[in-house]
Amino acid sequence: MKIDQIKKEFPIFDEKIHNNDLVYLDSANSSQKPKVVVDRINDFYTKQFSNVGRSVHYLAVAATNLYENTRTSVQKYINAKDKNEIVFTKGATEALNLVANTLGQSYLQEGDEVLITELEHHSNYVPWHFLRKSKNIKINFAEINEEGEITLDEIEKKITPKTKLISITHLSNVTGAILPVKEITQLAHTKGIIVVVDGCQGAPHLKLDMQDLDCDFYAISCHKMYGPTGLGVLYGKKKWLEELPPYQGGGGMINEVKKDRISYGELPNKYEAGTMATAQVIAFDQSIKFLESIGIENVMSHEADLVEYGQELLQKNNSVKLIGNPKNKGGVLSFTIEGVHPHDIATILDEDGVAIRAGHHCCQILHDKLNIPASARASVGIYNTKDDLDQLNNSINNCKKIFNL
Amino acid sequence: MNLKELYQEIILEHGKNPRNLRKTEGFNKDAKGNNPLCGDNVHVYLKLNGQKIVEDASFEGSGCAISMASASIMTDLIKGKNEHEAKEIVQDFLGMIKENPELKSEYLSEDEKTKLMCLSGVKQYPMRVKCATLSWHTMVSAFDENIEEVKTEN
Repeated sequence: MKIDQIKKEFPIFDEKIHNNDLVYLDSANSSQKPKVVVDRINDFYTKQFSNVGRSVHYLAVAATNLYENTRTSVQKYINAKDKNEIVFTKGATEALNLVANTLGQSYLQEGDEVLITELEHHSNYVPWHFLRKSKNIKINFAEINEEGEITLDEIEKKITPKTKLISITHLSNVTGAILPVKEITQLAHTKGIIVVVDGCQGAPHLKLDMQDLDCDFYAISCHKMYGPTGLGVLYGKKKWLEELPPYQGGGGMINEVKKDRISYGELPNKYEAGTMATAQVIAFDQSIKFLESIGIENVMSHEADLVEYGQELLQKNNSVKLIGNPKNKGGVLSFTIEGVHPHDIATILDEDGVAIRAGHHCCQILHDKLNIPASARASVGIYNTKDDLDQLNNSINNCKKIFNL
Repeated sequence: MNLKELYQEIILEHGKNPRNLRKTEGFNKDAKGNNPLCGDNVHVYLKLNGQKIVEDASFEGSGCAISMASASIMTDLIKGKNEHEAKEIVQDFLGMIKENPELKSEYLSEDEKTKLMCLSGVKQYPMRVKCATLSWHTMVSAFDENIEEVKTEN
């Protein structure tokens, strides 16, 4: 696999940032887009545009087919049993809100407990908090260990007879810990507990097999997966999606509307109210094809190499402190430098064209636990090389110099 | 080049050893501010005497070098000023950080102006303007006795 060749497929790397080559280490935030995806959006709007699922004219039928093709591609890519288990949303955030909202409407009862973890992104906490307010459910937190991991043991310890649902990240966007989702699901299912997975970081970097993982719901963010913004995927087991009530009401999700009664459409229309992000869905097919052309095993081994290399490099750098040291780690290197606030680090690195994220990465619970207000985070994607990590390290050294460290 | 303008020695020094990073004993005005984007927070305390002059000013909180230095310099130079003077200085400072080439307030000494101008490098970093201005907005809020927390997003 030639990374140089892959990198050439991303037009953004032709750009100069403050007269420097772009070293993009912010893929956990959002990935860059290959030309095929950008072109597909343009082509669709230029030559094929129509709304989907409504009119019977030529363009509408063609667009509907393209839209549904992506659903099938996603189904195959994540090995879901049924194409109707794939629901498009405006993002992973909406996907998680959909799950929390509909389970809250018809499944979770007052006093029920939801188990999440200290690693969760705000989008896998706030929607459950809404239910804490509206339905008086209780939220419990599985705690991280010294390495920034969530173990199966810890999950088991935190399950009570009242636990109805476990909602966990597949891969932490801060410590990089990959959670034992399959084992957690097995355990949960023996106790009749539903498992929801926030797959924002998992989907772009790990092999996905819904039938093997066996979780009940899995949320995907397409813009982190070399795809367009404004689009997410919710995978849900058919029995749940059939049983749960609709989330939003509007055109496209109905069967029959009368003054005194309304019946809802079948899956997946039931959950896709209104005009969807049509161009994005159609272009996302190219993101899947792009990932398939590389092969997820190759993606995983390349990124594992990068993380190992980056970890060694930063561990050797005095005054840099890595956050978390999980055995099973994805492409995230979060760190602090004693005496330099992460925002100052990010500004100084940016001057060299090195794009990282600074802040709490929407994980305030975790940062509180670690007793730090913020951290700096370098995260990798398929286009990164070891040179990028060397540049990261050099720019960190420049930062230390500016701060007289 | 720009980085040197942003991280001048005086900023680094104040960032590292912020003045007035404490809670004023017997304060009679205070307010909290936070920057939801990055989680930084500041709590400003003022002690006004019988003539409504700022006798002491201090702050607690954590943040980047820019925000710490800004709060440090602000709490230093606001001492001895009354509310009217302080608020005019705030307006002058905010104007300078956003667009004005220099400070104009008659309530600032040349030495104070020089110190504040060290923060002018922030202008070139729009994302960092909030770091420099949070404590200033928070101080205004303390004078106005606003109970609600200041948010830089507003």
